[in-house]
Amino acid sequence: MTVIALILSVVVGEASLAWGYAQVGLPHLVRWILAFGALWLAAIWQRWRWFAYIGLTFNFLAAALGLWFLNFAPGWMFAGAIAGLLAWDLTDFRDRLRFSANEMERRAVETRHLMRSAFLALLGFGLAGLAMAVKLQFNFEWAVFLALVAVLGLLQLVSWFRKRS
Amino acid sequence: MGRAFVLGPLICIVVLAGLATLHGAILLLSIPLILVWVESLWRAPDPLNLRAQREVSLERVPPQTPVKVKVAIENYGGDLEELQLQDILSPELSIVEGSARHLISLRKGARFEFEYTVTGPRGAFAFERVHAEATDHQGLGRASADLPTSGQLLVFPKLSRVKYVPIRPRRTRVYAGAIPARLGGAGVEFFGVRAYQAGDAPRRINWLISARHDQALYSNEFQQERVADVAIVLDGRERSNLFPGRNSLFEHSILAAGALADALLNQGNHVGLLVYSRYLQWTLPGYGRIQRERILHALSRATPGSSQVFEGLQYLPTRLFPPESQIVIVSPLVEDDYQTLVQLRARGYQVIAVSPDPVTFEERLLLTRGTRIPRREILLAARILRMERQWMLRRLRRAGIQIVEWDVAQPFDQVSRAAFGRSFRFGRPL
Repeated sequence: MTVIALILSVVVGEASLAWGYAQVGLPHLVRWILAFGALWLAAIWQRWRWFAYIGLTFNFLAAALGLWFLNFAPGWMFAGAIAGLLAWDLTDFRDRLRFSANEMERRAVETRHLMRSAFLALLGFGLAGLAMAVKLQFNFEWAVFLALVAVLGLLQLVSWFRKRS
Repeated sequence: MGRAFVLGPLICIVVLAGLATLHGAILLLSIPLILVWVESLWRAPDPLNLRAQREVSLERVPPQTPVKVKVAIENYGGDLEELQLQDILSPELSIVEGSARHLISLRKGARFEFEYTVTGPRGAFAFERVHAEATDHQGLGRASADLPTSGQLLVFPKLSRVKYVPIRPRRTRVYAGAIPARLGGAGVEFFGVRAYQAGDAPRRINWLISARHDQALYSNEFQQERVADVAIVLDGRERSNLFPGRNSLFEHSILAAGALADALLNQGNHVGLLVYSRYLQWTLPGYGRIQRERILHALSRATPGSSQVFEGLQYLPTRLFPPESQIVIVSPLVEDDYQTLVQLRARGYQVIAVSPDPVTFEERLLLTRGTRIPRREILLAARILRMERQWMLRRLRRAGIQIVEWDVAQPFDQVSRAAFGRSFRFGRPL
């Protein structure tokens, strides 16, 4: 189940990015994205866990690039990025699954994980979509506000980590 | 690589890119990443508070006997979403049923038990810890601990039965045993005749000799039988035991040493064991079943090794062995061991050398496992080596050392029965 979900994530992620780039007429980049997807699938087959990190970075950078430079339809870019994130998560999960001793144990952990991952992906996609739909004007004031929120969040995180250690 | 160390910078890059370009869509791209991050922090596992207990069905077994290991883990801490458990086993043990690794979810106060069956070769194996690693659902936050447990498995060599090992050291101990002590007294075997002494039983009077003498009586004397000090020296040097492809004669030597120790202890002797390997492992001499256990423990732990110091047998610590006692050396023997063995004889020790035949062993290996060397050359080389070995063994025999040659393809009990039978000749004094 996990492997199928993993392969699907890679295929959907790369296909979304490729489709987004194809729509603005960049066939050269589309070929590169598809080639990268094939490489990622090969890495899954070979169990190269480290490749998922490259895949995640690649998908997010490609999505950000598309959104920034070329003003693509954001849906495909978001889909590509979130599928990359899922694939990255599932690669590690697949590795952890080797610890499961029997089918029952495996099924229980797998089902819980996949459901939660799917929920997170949908939530992320939904929030992003909602924000795009509202189309708030992003200006300097918003940027300062977000920066403040980020700093506060970081401070909170640091204090939380201190408490835990 | 820590997953958090990738996700964190990626979030920063995306957020900074969004802020730098004042592009809302790029900033929104960070939302899924932040969600994953936050969820992971929220559900990160607390420091582990687990306790492990272990039960091993058998602690002392012969090689390749299935042994059940049962491990119970109790959670005294918080809920654990994903808990990986791995019982740390020696790589030599193989699991034949069940699994020593598990991935589970363990609630607060819950208990999880797992069981598996292992088999192993000769050796001493300690089950000291269970590794536990808890992660959140995303695998970003981790907490791990090694849970201490107790338990051990001793796989003893499977000993063949040697009925009797004839030894005749010059000096024996004071206790009655089975070794002829070269002293007159109470015993079974006729030793000599002496003048009658008051208190001698009438049935001990030798009437034939007494009849030949006027006014004198003579009594028969019997040879006293006592126990002896025996040191078994097990040669664990790599240079004499190891052959290409990590094939070793050492396991055979272990079997022989164990069988000899068993037989000598059954005869009531005071037996010690010295493993001459990378370092010296000396099991102090003793009697009976407890000593048998001690020797088996030592044999189960013995491994071949090499060191510059113990490259030759010249550093054999003879001070450990009582003077003029019996030494049984189990070794494939190499050329330069000759000198040391002869020196032992010169010091008054009786020496038996049980020697697994390395030439036949290696020849068989090369012929059966396939090699680039032509068969004819292997046979020729084996012939030359065998001649050299026979020459060395002949010289050792001449020095009064009893040699038991052992082709390891044959069971040791058969070889020992033939070697220690009636034709066994005790070494003559030098």
